[in-house]
Amino acid sequence: MTKRTSKPVRLIGKGMPRVDADGKVRGTTRYLNDIDYKGIWHGVVVRSPVPRGILRAIVPGPAFAGDNLVLATAKDIPGENVVHMHDRTMPLLAEIGGEIRYRGEPVAVVAAATPEQAAAAARDVRIEVDELPPLLTLDEAVAIFKSAPGKLDTMKEQTIVKGDLAQGFTAADDVVEAEYWAGHQEQLYLENQGLVVFPQKDGSILSEGSIQCPYFPVHELNDPLKLPPEKIRVRQTPIGGAFGGKEDYPTMLTGYAALPALKSGKPVKITYERNEDILFTPKRHPVWVRFKTGFKKDGTLTAIECDYILDGGAYLTISDVVMYRGILHCALAYRCDNVVIRGKVARTNSFPCGAFRGFGAPQAIWGIESHMDAIAARLGKTPHEYRLQVHARPGDVTPTGQTLSDENGSTACLKLALKRSDFARKLRQASRGKLRKGQKKFVGVGLSFFAHGSAFTGDGEAKFKAKGRVELARLEDGKPGINIRVSSTEMGQGVHTIFTQIAADALSLDAARIRFPMADTGLVPNSGPTVASRTTMVVGNVVYRAALDLKNQIESFAALRFFKGAPAELRGSRLLSKGARPVSFETAAKAMLAEIGSASGFFEFLLPADIRWDQATFKGDSYPGYSWSANVAEIEIDPLTCELEVKRVTAIVDIGRVINPVTATGQVEGGLTQALGYAVMEKIGTGKNGLYDAARLQTYIIPTALDVPEYDVKFVEYPYSFAPPGAKGLGELPMDGLAPAIANAIEAAIGRRLRQIPLTPEAIFAALHPAQGGTP
Amino acid sequence: MSTIRRTWKINGKTVAVRFPAGRRLLDVLREDLGLIGSKESCGEGECGACTVIVNDEPVVSCILPAGQLADGTEILTVEGIEKKRVGRLIQQAFIEVGAVQCGFCIPGMVVSSYALLCKNPKPSTKAIREGLAGNLCRCTGYTKIIAAVKLAASRIPAAKRT
Ligand code: FES
Ligand code: FES
Repeated sequence: MTKRTSKPVRLIGKGMPRVDADGKVRGTTRYLNDIDYKGIWHGVVVRSPVPRGILRAIVPGPAFAGDNLVLATAKDIPGENVVHMHDRTMPLLAEIGGEIRYRGEPVAVVAAATPEQAAAAARDVRIEVDELPPLLTLDEAVAIFKSAPGKLDTMKEQTIVKGDLAQGFTAADDVVEAEYWAGHQEQLYLENQGLVVFPQKDGSILSEGSIQCPYFPVHELNDPLKLPPEKIRVRQTPIGGAFGGKEDYPTMLTGYAALPALKSGKPVKITYERNEDILFTPKRHPVWVRFKTGFKKDGTLTAIECDYILDGGAYLTISDVVMYRGILHCALAYRCDNVVIRGKVARTNSFPCGAFRGFGAPQAIWGIESHMDAIAARLGKTPHEYRLQVHARPGDVTPTGQTLSDENGSTACLKLALKRSDFARKLRQASRGKLRKGQKKFVGVGLSFFAHGSAFTGDGEAKFKAKGRVELARLEDGKPGINIRVSSTEMGQGVHTIFTQIAADALSLDAARIRFPMADTGLVPNSGPTVASRTTMVVGNVVYRAALDLKNQIESFAALRFFKGAPAELRGSRLLSKGARPVSFETAAKAMLAEIGSASGFFEFLLPADIRWDQATFKGDSYPGYSWSANVAEIEIDPLTCELEVKRVTAIVDIGRVINPVTATGQVEGGLTQALGYAVMEKIGTGKNGLYDAARLQTYIIPTALDVPEYDVKFVEYPYSFAPPGAKGLGELPMDGLAPAIANAIEAAIGRRLRQIPLTPEAIFAALHPAQGGTP
Repeated sequence: MSTIRRTWKINGKTVAVRFPAGRRLLDVLREDLGLIGSKESCGEGECGACTVIVNDEPVVSCILPAGQLADGTEILTVEGIEKKRVGRLIQQAFIEVGAVQCGFCIPGMVVSSYALLCKNPKPSTKAIREGLAGNLCRCTGYTKIIAAVKLAASRIPAAKRT
């Protein structure tokens, strides 16, 4: 080592400004619709006009007489008419003679040289369907479940069992049972869905666009397109928000665009306008959840029984995994020896639901966190004291039998949230339905407490083995630098920035020499989809290790080339060796590129060898790590208009090591705001005609700058030591717990519990005035 | 369809444009002039992603027929704003406080912030919230955007505003 002792700059833990911010504030970042593609055609999807029936005919009209136009139907599908997804049941396009299962189900795709021509032609296709009666909503499905459970049409079921439920209820002194409902939610990324499929000379395709998980189309469309994975290349353009909405759906969209592209030989772009995007892309699943809980006089939970039914829509797509995540979060945060949780994916004739930040967990946590307050009330305990008593902490065993390690900051989150929000005092001052002296509004405060499992469920990561590469390269300025090659996509969450920080620290190199190009399956190994709060924890670890691997290679090369075989260390962008003059990274890397041609570090993610998971019984370690949070919501309700205002939200968060506190806080504030919309205003459902009943921004209302409360966000760090730098998942956690915190605050304010979100003024009015048609 | 001809001042430069009657200002900017910084998200005046400044007033360009703008109209888009001192302060503040995520709403936010600070260089939090109420952002929860506008305002020298 040299005598130089000054420490190189560390970026992990610092609020490094985003690497992609400049183009975004200047308006120079080119999203899909900002790219001037020459000579492309425009595709329009032709859809079923009814929610259910037998497709009899697809009849193109006179608009199809002209040139520069193509109509693709199921007959044009080169292979088997099925999109793989999770159960291989959903056709890419409905077949003549086959069953239409939802309104808007794609039947054909028209492509033409101009968008106007394509739209006109699409309107000129007549779809003939023999209609059948549809089952449209979760309400109908739950009614069937309640009257004749065996008659419920389920696409997937799963049960979690811990201990002996009957014994648990026998041991109980009291029981509380209640149902909770949650509706659909639209992701409402500001950039609508879109992509372009370019047919290639060799018969392969390239799909480019606003795609959250580039490897999904690569592996989901092999059968219909009759193309092996290496003949489907997918690359990301800058994504204007996704939140799960561009996870599963771009696979479908790639399939739709590929058919006319392959038929015509022209590149075909499909891009939705807002109206089409809201009507015909997946939403968050509506869920009905019922909790029956037994407990002793002292509050000890002796039994938790739970039914969790989600509306999957017409096809399973990915709903099984959403249901799994849901049931795994139904009773995760509390001590109880006897638990049964039954999850079901119900089939309805509505648009298939899909991924949205939280992925089943917000609905589960909405239920249990409302329910915990109900139990506390029955016991005559305060909600916070009760949670402090029974919450899960290190050493406790989850419903699947996983022992929580001491890398869980559950208690710290709960205590700090109570302290920072001054919860106990504010709860004492809550209105409880009576305006106190001087009060013009009902005031209330509510608490929620929860965990979110990071990364794929069970042994998913062990099986998947996320791969990544960090390579030495000549950058656009001609000088050497580093390219991060992983399939994680930048959607706004900040992965390009935090992976730059991680690689810079691992290599001890100036971040200015590091690039993270957009994911392109032709160039990056499969590090898995950018989902499941896995990216920083899992792929961040892959980047870290791959960067260390490359660092070793650079040091070995430098030792021989510059230091006569003496050990060298890359530190602060220089190669140092004891007693020798340092050599700059630039000099060493140039020499390495000149002599070896290329160099890259590689890593494949591993899980600890002792991880256990049984997918059949749902027993074992359900997630590699858990992030924790406690939310406190402070609200006011106008007694006349029943208008609700969320004044202040405290969110204490344990996501392990915080890589970038600024982007992390931004994730929490943004997630909380989506959760606020979910909780109090975003309302959309399947209408009688089978279409969503809110189709525009005039009718689907999301929070504006006037609606957001004051946020108090703080992190407590309990790092995941197995995967340096020690991050746990963050993306979904802020979406999970605000709705029940607000419902609990409403209860404190008006003395009534609401059991259905969104918690609208109409619902509050109905709760306050049961005689006028509302239910208390 | 009749063709309309106009001469406007866009981002400080005189520009002659021709477009069919009924064409939206947003399309003239993005497609005819290549000013792709203004975004389209809802296309019906609800989200503010397409906000530009027309004769000192912020407007949503997706529902404004371009033909309604007379000769001599001054239009400022995000591309022109960075040449303004306050515009640059706003952009820098957005970067510094971490107000940018996916970025799709950000040009509209920058434009609305600029319009606000030109009128009211020391806005209260309430005034900022009101000034940005027509611009939806699905990523950030607005908190850092509001903080960025405050920071930019604090850096406007008292004498040289705008
Ligand atoms: S695109 Fe103009 S307001 Fe939304
Ligand atoms: S930063 Fe994504 S919509 Fe605002």
